[in-house]
Amino acid sequence: MSTIIPIGPFHPVLEEPEYIQLYVNGETVESADIDLGRIHRGMELLAQEKTFDQDIFLVERICGICSASHSWAASLAIEDIVGVTPPDRARYLRTIVHELERLHSHMLWVGLAGHILGYWTVFMWGWKYREPVLDALEMITGNRQHYAWYKAGGVRRDVADEIWPEILKIIDEFDKNTDMLIGAILDDPVILSRLKGVGILTKEDAIHYGCLGPTARGSGVDIDVRRDDDYGAYSEVDWDVIVQPDGDCLAVSVVRLLEMKEACKIIKQCIEKLPGGPIVTEIRDIPRGEGVGHIEAPRGESFHYIRSNGTNMPERHKMRAPTFLNIPSFRPRVKGETISDAVLIFAVIDPCYSCTERMAVLDPSGKPFMTGQDLIKLSHEKTEKLRREF
Amino acid sequence: MSKQVLTNLKTKFGDRVDIHEHNDRRAYVTVSNEDWMEVLRYMYEVEGGRLTTATGSDRPTGVELLYHFAIDTDEIVVNIRTTLKKPFPKIESLAPYYYAADFIEREIFDFLGVEFEGHPDPRKILSSHDRPADFHAMRRDE
Repeated sequence: MSTIIPIGPFHPVLEEPEYIQLYVNGETVESADIDLGRIHRGMELLAQEKTFDQDIFLVERICGICSASHSWAASLAIEDIVGVTPPDRARYLRTIVHELERLHSHMLWVGLAGHILGYWTVFMWGWKYREPVLDALEMITGNRQHYAWYKAGGVRRDVADEIWPEILKIIDEFDKNTDMLIGAILDDPVILSRLKGVGILTKEDAIHYGCLGPTARGSGVDIDVRRDDDYGAYSEVDWDVIVQPDGDCLAVSVVRLLEMKEACKIIKQCIEKLPGGPIVTEIRDIPRGEGVGHIEAPRGESFHYIRSNGTNMPERHKMRAPTFLNIPSFRPRVKGETISDAVLIFAVIDPCYSCTERMAVLDPSGKPFMTGQDLIKLSHEKTEKLRREF
Repeated sequence: MSKQVLTNLKTKFGDRVDIHEHNDRRAYVTVSNEDWMEVLRYMYEVEGGRLTTATGSDRPTGVELLYHFAIDTDEIVVNIRTTLKKPFPKIESLAPYYYAADFIEREIFDFLGVEFEGHPDPRKILSSHDRPADFHAMRRDE
């Protein structure tokens, strides 16, 4: 006899509304049904009513974490229609921002995995180390998220060369912290016992389900759009595609951890080799035609198809985020596992969290009400007060 | 043909496929409704193509399906196209042979009302449950 256990649509460990029904027999999960559509925003229809330039900003808002990925893929699709190549400096700048995005996305996932495992130290560490990467992105593009940085033909703004030493310092520090984090996570028997051998996805299933990105590479499928369909500056720097054969939650975690090391390598080399010159090839006219752009976002391949009918608006703009193809792989992964592991197995594909918000409380004169240091001081005072009372 | 996969397609299917090479990394192949499933299965089972996604669009000639296959080993995206007759577009489903098509075809059914025969789970996927069953948001004729 099987029982249905609902998870969601609003659940403490799911950051976004998704509804999962687990069919269980005792503690063992037999199958699962996933119901999507609670944050469907009709972007494909909306894209047909905006100009090509506006579309790039629209697709950035698909996801707060992958905003550079979608806008780059859409730019590639438009460049494919027109038949232009961006200048060298633009290719390198695009690559740097995209890899910084990968760093903060993977580190965000490490934190969330810690949160789901109940391992709060990992959560605190992960998000603490992620913060300087967002500062680096703000220094380069002006924004922590939604960079408004990519445009068809190149990038929108140039960067003063004086900031690169500071960015390199942030990356060096991040690289060191990642080493420490990798050591701490992979040495911890409690974390290993929750991840190793749990939620196995075989290589055959990963191919059959069309899995992408770290989800596929964790199951031994050697795909990466950065290498397989060359774009940006990836063919001009030295890096490796990380593949792990085991297919369990640990393998996917290791792929993400080691990919952060590779991303640091790519960023450092791109800054070192950054050429001068123009940052954009101007596109005056978008002719009738169709184009495809796809890139390796942190969670897997983001795919954009655009058809132009010669006007200033696309006739059709198809967009597909990686999570759409990764979600179905939850079913073979969760079969035969226990209920307590189900949420972790769902989170291991890193389902995309489409909302990030930045909040600051200001006093009436417009100054920040409290700085980070003030909050730390307040926290210390509160702890001391508790200590005296108990 | 600049890429092996396109040569193979031409050799196997001859005049039944109309190949247009947009550039050396993007190609568009038009096939008839009758040859549709044979070409799709050939792309996945023989050429090892990865179905990245499929685009459905409502055009004056009918509902157009465009399945995007990435051949990762050959650095090319091959887009397979066919056009279905309105008002009740219908075609065989790829999902029984290739599970990746499951969600993709459900999305096209949801927004364009294309009936995929043999689909293992033909439900709507993204639109709200309180919408009428015959409402398809991206159809232009309604």
